[in-house]
Amino acid sequence: MAPPEVHHLFHHPIADHSFSADRETLAVAKDTSLELYGRVGGAFKLKDELKGHDKTITGVDIAPNSGRIVTCSQDRNALVWEPSPTGYKPTLVLLRIARAATFVRWSPSETKFAVGSGDRVIAICYFEEENDWWVSKHLKKPIRSTITTVSWHPNSVLLAAGSTDAHARVFSAFIKGVDARPDPGVWGERLPFNTVCGEFLNNSAGWVHSVAFSPSGDALAFSAHDSSITVVYPSGPEQPPKAVISISTQLLPFMSLIWNGESEIIAAGYDCEAFRFRGSESGWQLAGTLESKGRPGLGDAREESALNMFKQMDLKGKAKDDTQLKTIHQNTISTLRVYESSGDSVSKFSTSGVDGRVVIWNT
Amino acid sequence: MSIIQQHTSASLGDAWRTINIDALDPESSQNFDTTTLHPPLPEISEAEVRQLNGQVRQLLRGGDAEGALRGCLETPVYNGSEGTKEVHLQTVVEVLQSIKASDMTPMLQRIYGSEGGGELLDVLMKYLYKGMSASALTGGPRTPGRMTPQQTGFTQVGSRPGVSNESTSAAMSVLLSWHEKVVDVAGQGSIVRCMTDWRKV
Repeated sequence: MAPPEVHHLFHHPIADHSFSADRETLAVAKDTSLELYGRVGGAFKLKDELKGHDKTITGVDIAPNSGRIVTCSQDRNALVWEPSPTGYKPTLVLLRIARAATFVRWSPSETKFAVGSGDRVIAICYFEEENDWWVSKHLKKPIRSTITTVSWHPNSVLLAAGSTDAHARVFSAFIKGVDARPDPGVWGERLPFNTVCGEFLNNSAGWVHSVAFSPSGDALAFSAHDSSITVVYPSGPEQPPKAVISISTQLLPFMSLIWNGESEIIAAGYDCEAFRFRGSESGWQLAGTLESKGRPGLGDAREESALNMFKQMDLKGKAKDDTQLKTIHQNTISTLRVYESSGDSVSKFSTSGVDGRVVIWNT
Repeated sequence: MSIIQQHTSASLGDAWRTINIDALDPESSQNFDTTTLHPPLPEISEAEVRQLNGQVRQLLRGGDAEGALRGCLETPVYNGSEGTKEVHLQTVVEVLQSIKASDMTPMLQRIYGSEGGGELLDVLMKYLYKGMSASALTGGPRTPGRMTPQQTGFTQVGSRPGVSNESTSAAMSVLLSWHEKVVDVAGQGSIVRCMTDWRKV
């Protein structure tokens, strides 16, 4: 297996990152500005800096086909950055929220995006031709607390959201005139806006950090702050789900997760490394870490001479330098995204975290 | 008349910054009963707990320490009066104290490996933390007047307020060594779950 590609961009937390469709551009949310990095050989070089927000940027997403970038920030705004020959042009979105925007994702159709917020609403934003403006409709009920994460169903109508009220919910975000009527599926038949298609909670009920639909859209996985991952298999509209499988792990909580096919989930978080889960409707289990421990050239690069040992003892009062983690990421991983995939299976994924690194992994 | 003089002392101060705007918003989560977010838990009465504790003690006397431990962890008092919770905590601590240090790890591994065992160890972790906080509280109220002036060096070690009670510190060391063993078996996840879980013991 080829070693992961590590890009240490800066010494500052990365709230969110996104690659363009051709993987030549990397957008990174750093503090109040959005930095665009271009691939030069094997490295990423700073190409452009988009300034428009005046508080920390919490989410960024590049639409793969149109190349539009959407960002959201604690200043309660979202901006759509339109690519043009003279650079990116920002357009303000009317979010109508009174608290920070926390998370943003384009729908697969790229005609809408969802913004989670601390105002207990999700703003579903779409472009209104008559006014030449991005407007929003609010998903409100029955959200009781801050939305931490959202994820779109492949049909671009259903939206999963995780919240600090410990629930993962599935909503309909159907907008008349923008979306085609969806085919009936396991989540529901008629889906007017703000239909709640599912509401899930696990036993210990920790904050939900991440949600994701399986590639078919017929299963939902979410990770919560109780170090668990829960997978839900719905059986049909208005019926209890076929199976709700919750795996409590010995590890620290997972901040982000993605599906790799229908029978594998990759999750990463406070343990600073990615883990693999395998299973199906009948059960799921932790299958181990994706990090190959004991890589050459890590830690044992320094010569272990007696002189060196005593030198270290004298300088630092200890012989071993244990200030480095054995993982590639040196701090919490906050975002995990698909980098390269064929069909439903992911061949490469990228992670970014508090340590200012973006790492591209092979599955 | 300058503009400054038109201000009252109230509008010049920064007291408005401390107004809790959430309290004024009827939709806010502050004006919302968070317990309705979760399915209700069965209430356990003091009589039930005493009966259960009797059974647990019987198991303990019969030499089945593991059965006793499982017995009291399988029915944690999530919904009950403070008194009931306290009684159950005492039983758990009693069981923990009666188990030899060398038996701890194998016993925890057996419980963890069994069906639903992870959940039991999470419950145990909750009781360990509750036990530690309770022992700290029963160590006597620390009024500033009663504090002796801090002496230098190591002379104060034996007379620190709070650990004067010999049995409290013994109970504490038992809880601490259990804590270490539970983390070895159930991982840091059990600590995180203990902090996150809304079902408090």
